[in-house]
Amino acid sequence: MQAFEEETYQNTEFNTKTWRRIFELMRPLKKTVILVIILAAFTAVADVSYPLINRYGIDTIIATGDLSLLPIFIGIYVAYMVVLGGLVFSFIYLAETIRNRLAYIIRKHAFEKLQNLPFSYYDRTPAGWIMARMTSDSRQLSDLLSWGLIDLTWGGLMMIGLLSVMFVLNVQLALITTAALPILVVLSLYFRKKILKIFRRIRKQNSKITGAFNEGITGAKTTKTLVLEDSNYTDFERLTSDMKRHSIKAALFSGLYLPSILFVAAIVTSLIYYYGGVNVADEVITIGLLYVFVSYVMQFFEPVMQLANVLSHFQQAQASAERVVSLIDAVPDIEDTDDVKKTYGTISHPKRENWEPLIGEIEFEHVTFTYKKGEKVLNDFNLLVKSGESIALVGATGAGKSTIVNLICRFYEPTEGTIKIDGRDYKTRSLAWLHDHLGYVLQSPHLFSGTIRDNIRYGNLNASNEAIIKSATMVGAHAFIETFKDGYDTQVNEGGARLSVGEKQLISFARALLGDPKILILDEATSSIDTQTEQKIQKAIETVMEGRTTFIIAHRLSTIMSADRILVLEHGKIIESGTHTALIKKRGHYYSLYTNQFA
Amino acid sequence: MKRIKQFTKWMKGHIYLYIIGTLLLFTLQYMRSLTPLFLQHIVDTVFGDKPSALPGVIVRIIDASTVQTELLFVALFSVGFTFIRLVFVFVQHLIFAFFTEKTAYQLRNALYSHLQNLPFSFHSKADTGDLIQRTSNDVETYRRFIGEQLVTVLRLLALTTFAIFQMARMNVSMTLISLISAPVIFTSAFVYFIKVKSLFKEVEEAEGKMTNTVQENVQGNRVVKAFGNEIHEIDKFDDHSQDFLNKNMILTKLMALFWSITDTMIFGQYALTASFGIYFVVQGSMESGQFLAFLALLGMVVWPLRQLGRIIGDFGKTTVALDRIDEVMDAKSEHANDSQFKPEINGQVTFENVSFRFDDSDQSLLKNVTFDVARGQTLAIIGKTGSGKSTLMNLLIRLLENQEGSILFDGMNIKSINKKWLRKNVGIILQEPFLYSKTVYDNIAIMNPHANEDQIMNAATIASVHDDIVHFEEGYKTIVGEKGATLSGGQKQRLAIARMLLDDKPILVFDDSLSAVDTKTDIQIRRALTHYWENTTVFIITHRITTAMEADQIIVLDQGEIQAKGTHKTLMKTNAFYASLYTKQTDFKATLEEEDV
Repeated sequence: MQAFEEETYQNTEFNTKTWRRIFELMRPLKKTVILVIILAAFTAVADVSYPLINRYGIDTIIATGDLSLLPIFIGIYVAYMVVLGGLVFSFIYLAETIRNRLAYIIRKHAFEKLQNLPFSYYDRTPAGWIMARMTSDSRQLSDLLSWGLIDLTWGGLMMIGLLSVMFVLNVQLALITTAALPILVVLSLYFRKKILKIFRRIRKQNSKITGAFNEGITGAKTTKTLVLEDSNYTDFERLTSDMKRHSIKAALFSGLYLPSILFVAAIVTSLIYYYGGVNVADEVITIGLLYVFVSYVMQFFEPVMQLANVLSHFQQAQASAERVVSLIDAVPDIEDTDDVKKTYGTISHPKRENWEPLIGEIEFEHVTFTYKKGEKVLNDFNLLVKSGESIALVGATGAGKSTIVNLICRFYEPTEGTIKIDGRDYKTRSLAWLHDHLGYVLQSPHLFSGTIRDNIRYGNLNASNEAIIKSATMVGAHAFIETFKDGYDTQVNEGGARLSVGEKQLISFARALLGDPKILILDEATSSIDTQTEQKIQKAIETVMEGRTTFIIAHRLSTIMSADRILVLEHGKIIESGTHTALIKKRGHYYSLYTNQFA
Repeated sequence: MKRIKQFTKWMKGHIYLYIIGTLLLFTLQYMRSLTPLFLQHIVDTVFGDKPSALPGVIVRIIDASTVQTELLFVALFSVGFTFIRLVFVFVQHLIFAFFTEKTAYQLRNALYSHLQNLPFSFHSKADTGDLIQRTSNDVETYRRFIGEQLVTVLRLLALTTFAIFQMARMNVSMTLISLISAPVIFTSAFVYFIKVKSLFKEVEEAEGKMTNTVQENVQGNRVVKAFGNEIHEIDKFDDHSQDFLNKNMILTKLMALFWSITDTMIFGQYALTASFGIYFVVQGSMESGQFLAFLALLGMVVWPLRQLGRIIGDFGKTTVALDRIDEVMDAKSEHANDSQFKPEINGQVTFENVSFRFDDSDQSLLKNVTFDVARGQTLAIIGKTGSGKSTLMNLLIRLLENQEGSILFDGMNIKSINKKWLRKNVGIILQEPFLYSKTVYDNIAIMNPHANEDQIMNAATIASVHDDIVHFEEGYKTIVGEKGATLSGGQKQRLAIARMLLDDKPILVFDDSLSAVDTKTDIQIRRALTHYWENTTVFIITHRITTAMEADQIIVLDQGEIQAKGTHKTLMKTNAFYASLYTKQTDFKATLEEEDV
């Protein structure tokens, strides 16, 4: 779990490799980025020149009293207005384009990678971690690389522009203004970092509170039956009072930040009042120039604060970038070799013309399997399953049932030994080829949002409506589907029919049947269903199994009984094997496993 | 009036903070409106001999004989003045923070406590996601409103008012000219932000769909892979992702248009004010210092207008959020007006003609149920899903209240007994027990915080879950629940039994509580328990006939009615339904017997 801790930002060093990878992703946006940087420069120029327009009015028109110059002044103003409007429009538009497009690109890459990563990746990566990469990280990163980058360019250019204009106009006043710069930078960086840290803590606390609410609501029945209301409330109150404390602390810091910056500004302004004023009195400078400097003080502070903001977010964004890159560049530990890819194609470009038909004979030859954690599940395991044969796997939790199934599906690969399909090591053919011939029914049926029809069609995306109805009929799902108002077009999730587990299970059977798989896996497909529904499902199973190599993991006797061969497993070894009748006669493990129920 | 009450009811006890904060805020904005006048004072009064726009008190303080000393005084005074103002800003910020956080704290606590006290019938119908939204997003909307938006509106209104006041003191016609565009800017912001709301919603929905696709793919990864539908999923996701992008870009275009057009309008206003200002100054009806002050004060009026429009356009959101919160708070607590009667309960239970139906339905879930259980007896209730067996249990601890008939404990009607007390005396082990996100240890100890380690491990051993626990990476310290280790259904059920063992209860209910445990362990646990709870009245609810067989009394429940009552032996003879259920479920035994022949 530690590796997936969300909020650690220990790495403060600039990570060149990560950023190079991110910039590679940004390549399609290169033109837009260059354009926006040029526009940022123009905007900086416009911002610097604005007080100068007013200065022209003050020093040239008012000082001379020559009103004939007023139309020129108005003309300049109107031109400025139009240019600025145009700049603001293109600026926002382009920056947002970069932001949205970059987020899109990151999501696209990440999702494609996710589809290519093997099952083992999902096994050890929490779903929440993956979700966060796809949502908050991609957002944070694209924020920094659009507005952040622009603020950086604009802020930098603006400061350079202001400094040069100020020094050209009056060295003494320019020096006074510049003297505040280091103080500003230090103050801004200090506060920004501090504030960011506190807000992160608040967010964490907030999600704890939401979690507590969730627990309070979903666990309401248990809480009531155990009469735990008061002790739960005490726990909750601790969370909210922590939240209150953190929030007030955050207010303390964020409340100090702006006033302290403004105070520095006030000191600089008053210095300008005094020295500028003295200079005006001595007629060294004009009133217009004094006005320009007073305006520049405030303008000068804005980019410093922006830069501090970008820099303080940088570390966080780098952490996002590292995590995103770690996902996009994750190396799948199960992948087709280059030779296999050459013949059979890849997931995105399969070469179906080279695919041999799959017959369905499966052989485990001296297979050993060890999970990454080091626990050995199978040791020198041998098994030959004929095409069309059905095998039931029986045994306690941890005996190796799921491992065998995962190996057959090539969700995992053997650590040692080989698995052969139709006499050939299955690694010599592509994953897509195997999965194209595989059908899978899970204990808790997973349906995708969409209609019932969409969900059945999932087994074979090219299937016709007739074929869909036929599969549904064969597994006995057609009747209940027809009772819904929208029939096959009923939504399965929100706002649609509330399907019972049994009904979902039947739909997932229809889905498996539609794919006409050669190898079928039934993973505890009947355990969460009551006796009545079970009989229906039992019929469905028998229909689906016909003519396919089938592996069944189940607790229910009726399901197991229908298998051609039952394997009793213990610690990754087959300790008994045979038909139901034979095993009962034997009065061995299988017998005692099931007679226990009635002892 | 009702609205005002709705807004203020969570602020009880500290509303004075808001009043102090608001007073401070107004003072501050007045001080701020004075800052541009220092430049006016320098230009007009120090350099010239025209009147200062600063208040008389300040003018007297900074008055001096020479230009240089007067400039020095102005500079020093303005620093001091700003310093005081900024200290006030800080204090005011803190006051509002205290106020807001206290309010949020009270609201959250009230919501949590109320949610826990709402009756079971509320929870069984409630949509969890929606409730969570109300407790998080809606509370946050309200918090943001009182803490940020309302304060901002007050601040901007005060600033604008004082700025206009300062302008008007200097020159009325210039003031009118400077305000020409104000209504237009405000209205366009207001209208824009209301219009764009529906678009924001569309973007949110598009994002929701996209995120949902990712989630489904992560969860159903096995299915995607087993069917080889990776490309289909990539295309599907790309459609959603692109839709989200496109909707965002529409929003972007509108945003860019809005900001650029209003920016242009604001600069147009500046151009107008500056041109007239120059004209007036040259003509002699205005001073140049006043002109400079006008330019600065103008900024205090025109820039905030957009923000003001935006926030006011958002006001509706808060009332909607508060309505949603009130909907929850107005639901009636099940402990309101509850009896305080807490008698000793021994374990004798009687049902007399008990019937139940939900208020919004005509269909009775239980009809005239009558039975009697003596102290220490075991009663099994068997029936199909929907036969009413869970309803019966819910009535027993008043999670639901029966409309007809009566339920008696030791002859006392349970409706006369305090609910929490009643539940403390009846231990229910649910089919899907909930574990709290605490350690395994604390989850067991929850029933008896004074239990020592030995007692807890002993309980876990009796419930056959100790061996599982020690195999967890962190043993008894493993955190369970949403963010912790995932436990199997069977492990959860066994933990629920373990925690019940720490408390002594006269009545126990097993509500299908071993359904996810394999048969061997099931028997093992039940044997251990019979010794443990000898004098306890036990209810066993099940659809497994083998579990019911051993009970002192068995009730067969069908469609809310008692079909038959008796022991296994009598029922096998007299009740066809029971007998057929038996054959169906023990089909295996039939095959066995065949073999033996």
